[in-house]
Amino acid sequence: MDLSVTLPQLLGLAWLLPLVSFLVILFFGPRMGHHGRNAAWVATGAIGTSLVLSLAAFVSWLGAHPVTAVHHGGDHGAAHAGDHAEASGHAEASGHAAAVEGSHGAGHDAAHHGPVAYSGDWYTLYDGGRLRLSIGWYIDSLTVLMFVVVTFIATCIHVYASGYMHDELHEVTDHEVTLADGHHLHRPGRFPRFFQALSLFCFSMLGIVIAGNLAMVFIFWELVGICSWFLIGFYYERKSASTAANKAFIVNRVGDFGMLIGLMALWGALGTLHFADATAAGPDGRQVTRPGLFSLVRPAATGHALRVPDGMVEFAAADKVAGTPAGEVASRVDTWRAEGFGRWLLFIAGVGIFCGCVGKSAQFPLFVWLPDAMEGPTPVSALVHSATMVAAGVYLVGRFFPVLSPDVLLVIAYTGAITLFIAATIALVANDIKRVLAYSTVSQLGYMMLALGVGGWVAGLFHLVTHAFFKSLLFLCSGSVIHACHTNDMRKMGGLARVMPYTAGTMLVGCLAIIGAGIPFVIGLSGYYSKDSILAQALSFAQANPRHAILFYAVAGGAALTAFYMFRLWFMTFAGEPRDHHVAEHAHESPQVMVMPLVVLAVLAVVAGWTLPGGFGIANLLEQSRPAGTVETATGGCAFGQTLTVPAEYLSHGEPFHSVATWTAFGTALGGVLLAAAMYVWRVISPAAVAALFRPVSTFLANRWYVDELYHALFVVPAHGLAAVASGIDQGLIDPLINFLAWTTRQVAAVDAWIDRTFIDGLVNTTANATWALGLELKKLQTGSLRQYVTFIVAGVVALFVIASIFFREAFAG
Amino acid sequence: MTPETLTQPALWPLSLIVFLPALVAAALSLPLIPRGREELIRWITLATTVVVFVLSLWMAWPSLFGAAGPAQFTVGEAGMQAVVKKPWIPAFGIDYLLGVDGFSMPLVVLTTFLSVLACAASWPITKHVKAYHVLFLLLETGMLGVFVSLDFFLFYVFWEVMLLPMYFLIGIWGGPRREYAAIKFFLYTLLGSVLMLIAVLMLYFTSDLRMLSPEQLTRAHAAIPAAAAAGQPVHTFNLLALAELGQLPNSPFAAARVWGLSVETWAFLLLLIGFVIKVPVVPVHTWLPDAHVEAPTPISMILAGVLLKLGGYGILRICYPICPGAGLALAWLVCGLGVVSMVYGAFAALAQKDFKRMVAYSSVSHMGYVMLGLGVWSAVAGSGFNPDYWAQGVNGAMFQMLAHGISSAGMFFMVGVLYDRVHHRNLEEFGGIFNRMPVYAGLAVAIFFAGLGLPGLCGFIGEVLVTLSSWNYSRVLAAVSAFTVILTAAYILWAIQRVYLGPEYKGPHGDHLTPMTGRELAIAAPLVFLAILFGVAPQLIFNYVTPTVNRQVQTLADWTRDVGTKSTPPVAGAAASGDLTFLGGETSAP
Amino acid sequence: MMPVVVAAAPVVGLINQPVGVAHYLVVGAIMFVCGIVCMAMKRNALGVLMGIELVLNGANVNFVAFASPYLQGEGSRSLGLDGQVIALFVILLAAAEAAVALAITLNFYNNHATVDVDRADDLKG
Repeated sequence: MDLSVTLPQLLGLAWLLPLVSFLVILFFGPRMGHHGRNAAWVATGAIGTSLVLSLAAFVSWLGAHPVTAVHHGGDHGAAHAGDHAEASGHAEASGHAAAVEGSHGAGHDAAHHGPVAYSGDWYTLYDGGRLRLSIGWYIDSLTVLMFVVVTFIATCIHVYASGYMHDELHEVTDHEVTLADGHHLHRPGRFPRFFQALSLFCFSMLGIVIAGNLAMVFIFWELVGICSWFLIGFYYERKSASTAANKAFIVNRVGDFGMLIGLMALWGALGTLHFADATAAGPDGRQVTRPGLFSLVRPAATGHALRVPDGMVEFAAADKVAGTPAGEVASRVDTWRAEGFGRWLLFIAGVGIFCGCVGKSAQFPLFVWLPDAMEGPTPVSALVHSATMVAAGVYLVGRFFPVLSPDVLLVIAYTGAITLFIAATIALVANDIKRVLAYSTVSQLGYMMLALGVGGWVAGLFHLVTHAFFKSLLFLCSGSVIHACHTNDMRKMGGLARVMPYTAGTMLVGCLAIIGAGIPFVIGLSGYYSKDSILAQALSFAQANPRHAILFYAVAGGAALTAFYMFRLWFMTFAGEPRDHHVAEHAHESPQVMVMPLVVLAVLAVVAGWTLPGGFGIANLLEQSRPAGTVETATGGCAFGQTLTVPAEYLSHGEPFHSVATWTAFGTALGGVLLAAAMYVWRVISPAAVAALFRPVSTFLANRWYVDELYHALFVVPAHGLAAVASGIDQGLIDPLINFLAWTTRQVAAVDAWIDRTFIDGLVNTTANATWALGLELKKLQTGSLRQYVTFIVAGVVALFVIASIFFREAFAG
Repeated sequence: MTPETLTQPALWPLSLIVFLPALVAAALSLPLIPRGREELIRWITLATTVVVFVLSLWMAWPSLFGAAGPAQFTVGEAGMQAVVKKPWIPAFGIDYLLGVDGFSMPLVVLTTFLSVLACAASWPITKHVKAYHVLFLLLETGMLGVFVSLDFFLFYVFWEVMLLPMYFLIGIWGGPRREYAAIKFFLYTLLGSVLMLIAVLMLYFTSDLRMLSPEQLTRAHAAIPAAAAAGQPVHTFNLLALAELGQLPNSPFAAARVWGLSVETWAFLLLLIGFVIKVPVVPVHTWLPDAHVEAPTPISMILAGVLLKLGGYGILRICYPICPGAGLALAWLVCGLGVVSMVYGAFAALAQKDFKRMVAYSSVSHMGYVMLGLGVWSAVAGSGFNPDYWAQGVNGAMFQMLAHGISSAGMFFMVGVLYDRVHHRNLEEFGGIFNRMPVYAGLAVAIFFAGLGLPGLCGFIGEVLVTLSSWNYSRVLAAVSAFTVILTAAYILWAIQRVYLGPEYKGPHGDHLTPMTGRELAIAAPLVFLAILFGVAPQLIFNYVTPTVNRQVQTLADWTRDVGTKSTPPVAGAAASGDLTFLGGETSAP
Repeated sequence: MMPVVVAAAPVVGLINQPVGVAHYLVVGAIMFVCGIVCMAMKRNALGVLMGIELVLNGANVNFVAFASPYLQGEGSRSLGLDGQVIALFVILLAAAEAAVALAITLNFYNNHATVDVDRADDLKG
């Protein structure tokens, strides 16, 4: 079995099936059974088949690249030292060359090999000779793992949604929409349309995961954005929903603006967006291998250490290149690189790409869209806005990790820290059950970003996977609650554990998982492992760079806040006595089709973090894909004018980091839970009293740090202002100018016409008038009297004679 | 006469494509069809446009019709094909010179295609049906003529032929302020034509065919007439020959000077003004919103879909090849105008209350990408004269022109469908259309997403290629053009929200919101289909465009290396090098 | 010709001369003047016609007088009857003119019931 052929086939098929489902439902949806009931089967079948295919790919991957334990310390290289055959799809058919090259004593050989990855192109969008944009694949263990996670959660949520969305199977009365005539909106159900959008989303999301180059990432990045737009705005009759959808898309576009700049910086200087080296037919027909981004930034020649690529150096030093003979440019690049040319470009590229991730993963300052996105149906919140799409930003940072310079990583770490803190504080006071979860998602994404930023590549992505399971579980549980109570407001809930035991139990598992509950050093839920590794890495980083110690405190403090607000949520919802009897009376456990996914996900939320005795576990699987050159501690100059040490991740698995991190996590989580219990179960502390005591703070938090208001004042209003100015310039400046020119022309014409009338016509008319007057005078001689005429004739003749005789005397005389 | 002009297989096909509409228009204007038979006129016009479309498709896509004939277009070949040359006014060296290459062939097909759709969209027109269709067909002849003529004089004639029908079509069949809009359109465009005429004459009287080698003459399909007086310059209107002259190291256009500037610079500026009025770019764009708002729907489709492309085509075909020196020196102007239009158009679109006006401003914004893509003259010394990014920009601009032809025509049609029903276009008074007209709303949202530049739809490829290519020309312009994506999303999504989403329709005539008719569906569906097709398979267009673009860009890049950087005019030098230091030089880096 | 006043003396002297051309001319002149005066003074249209006849005949006398052989120069090629021939023409003309004039007068009379030329001012501008 040749993995370089079968993996793209399996995953490619798994990727395209949801697209087929989308098209089928698009054209035949409403005709699929009563109100399109069968659309759910089509969509679920498609994503289920994708799951099977992904699992097949997963198994075949494991067959070729067995996951073994990573030995900390000197022997860490075993798992990721695998074959460095970075097999590209068509070039190296024997790319699997699977034998793990044993463990290396010193272990540093791993630094000289890339991870196992298969890449290639399916389809070319633009072929400009050396510049090529294409649709392709880059498959390593991360890709395969993400495929399994995404398709698995998506399948669960499809099943869940076919129960949750059953309202849409008949006429719907939307109580949140009041028409002009005072009635509520009645509309036909939109069951197929929901699954249609969900299928398209799955296709787009898997496209991001499998993408072999940044252009393809960008394409599917936008597509998940528009799917998100469709799904948030599913109840598009509600103004709040369509506004939230627009907000989500536009805020994401702000991130995409940065991402485009990053893409341009890479594309303009390096001429490629491929992750891996790509082989293609050159102009002369021969196969030419062009290095991808990873090997450009971390060439094998430097032992995969980060180096500003030649292209960026030359680009930045364009003035010097212009003054250098063509033959000598290559030899001077190293000098220019040493002078620092191109480093800013690499920084801009990294930060730019990260901007896109900030938008998609709802990081500070662009996190505002995610809470509003909860306007969508709850399955959407679970799939799109917690487990998968918003994790795409983290995934991209992980995928793009080799290109990120230490200064970019620092930016990422701080962004994550700020995000996790702000979001966690807002979650403390939120009362909408889905908003609490939304802010919790933002906060957890901040954790992942921070982990990646401090060099915890595996820690961050590990948390991404475990979080996907327990957060989708939490959302589905909240959906189950909302389904039962028909309200989102936790203040109206309480005591639901009795009527909804499955939901309460699974949600408790989810809460425990997210706070990282476990028995220290023995066993724990999935979050226990991923959160501990993040804490350990942050601690390791803080020790290596004392001035950035705050990053560790952010993580630790965030853990306490997480524990508090999650259990506040659980206690308010399920514990105690019902607060609103009307709600409590109608509450009921959800149908089987909704409970089943909860149980499945709860199991995974427990076990996803475990490492089996043979070494098999998600963390070790991810180790296989660890980017080349990031195994060892790296120290580098930072654009902010100081040296920065990114400690090796394996160090954090050892002492003292591991124990400190574990005890910190345990202590903070326990503290948070106890505080929540004290306030909402034992009622030792009154929440209202605390809120009153810190009124300014609680108001500030309840208003979500006034970020929405701030952005509205800072960006939305000026944008509309500028729009009005632009439109005003057209209507108030350019058009009047044009009209004024036209008016002036008409005035000139009027003057011209006046001159014509007055002077030229006047002369002609005067002549005519004079002639006329003369004629009138002469007419008087014409008396009509015959005798007068005769007299005139005579007189005239005589006069003629007289005149002639005076003047022509000579002639007459002669 | 050069040998290849003796046999001209494309003479009839190409001439027929251009003149068949005019012939039918002439026939229609005879009193052959009795009064009250308007339906017949409509069908005849539709049949004509379909025949012309099939003919152009026959030329452009030979494999669709079996084996390729000599008159048909060879896909993948860069040079001028299907050249037709007959002397027209020999005394001034004016020829009936037609031909198509990768620039014009796709635009010809786009024109004929949109003409069919626009003709079908003209069914609701009931006022002076015969006159309308006669003018419509004349307009089609004018547009096609501009795209295929290779003689500058002929080009100018067609350019003017196009102008008059448009004036009447807006001025007679338009909305309430139609006369104002028509006159504004006419005066703006006429100003451009007049400046263009000056440039035409400048170039003509400066040109001298004797400077070209025999190979160059053959390549340009030009010949020195035997009757030419010895020692006298042989002037020419031949665009290809003018381009060869302009790219000579001792270009006559660069040498001759008028008021201190070279003829080349003057001609470039005058032509540029003429063309950018048509594009249009800020600040000479205000005719566009008025013309669109007042014009009837099919005319808006033609106006946005084809007429705006003439400006970009003119810059590509005439300005750059003939005046490379000025092009190099003034590339910042072209790019700058493009970026300003992009941002300004997007902001202005955000502020509009009138649906059609918003779409019109989106055209201004989108055509800015075309300008930017055409302008990115990034093959300079600092990049080692690497023309790849420049070629990418021009390819992107060409793609954007075609994609915008589809998406903007679609958007205007979609607005027209609503307007036909409720007779208003106030964005604040729509809402709930999705529930009232689901099929229509689905198609409309697809087309608007194409305008938004969503991947998988045609708007994306052009925008991304242009934006990515602009970085190597200027970092600032690239960043601003990337910024526009936010605004584009904002105004389009906001408009969609106000018109299509929401619980109920808020405006007047709500009971007239009937589902799309079959005819409307037959117009909208092909546009949506093409928008998706070109978004998914852009190489369908690139196969035609890229060889020609690459050849022209390579030629001009070679020219930049060999001629341009050595004898840059004084104005040019300062501007070109000044621009490249916007952000590029990292001389202050540690 | 001399001014009239100066010519008076020779005219008076003619009485003592034998009848020659000059005498005829004097008679013609008197007839002519009488005719003119008649035309100018008479209000009756017929009177005016008579004045015309007088003028024409005065002219005829002159023609015939000037046709005198005494006035013929040497080597003249004419028959010497020029004056008489023209006089005959004039007589013919006068007859025709009288006929037309009488017709007009008659018509005028029919229309206006008068032959007073002062009443006939239709030609007044």
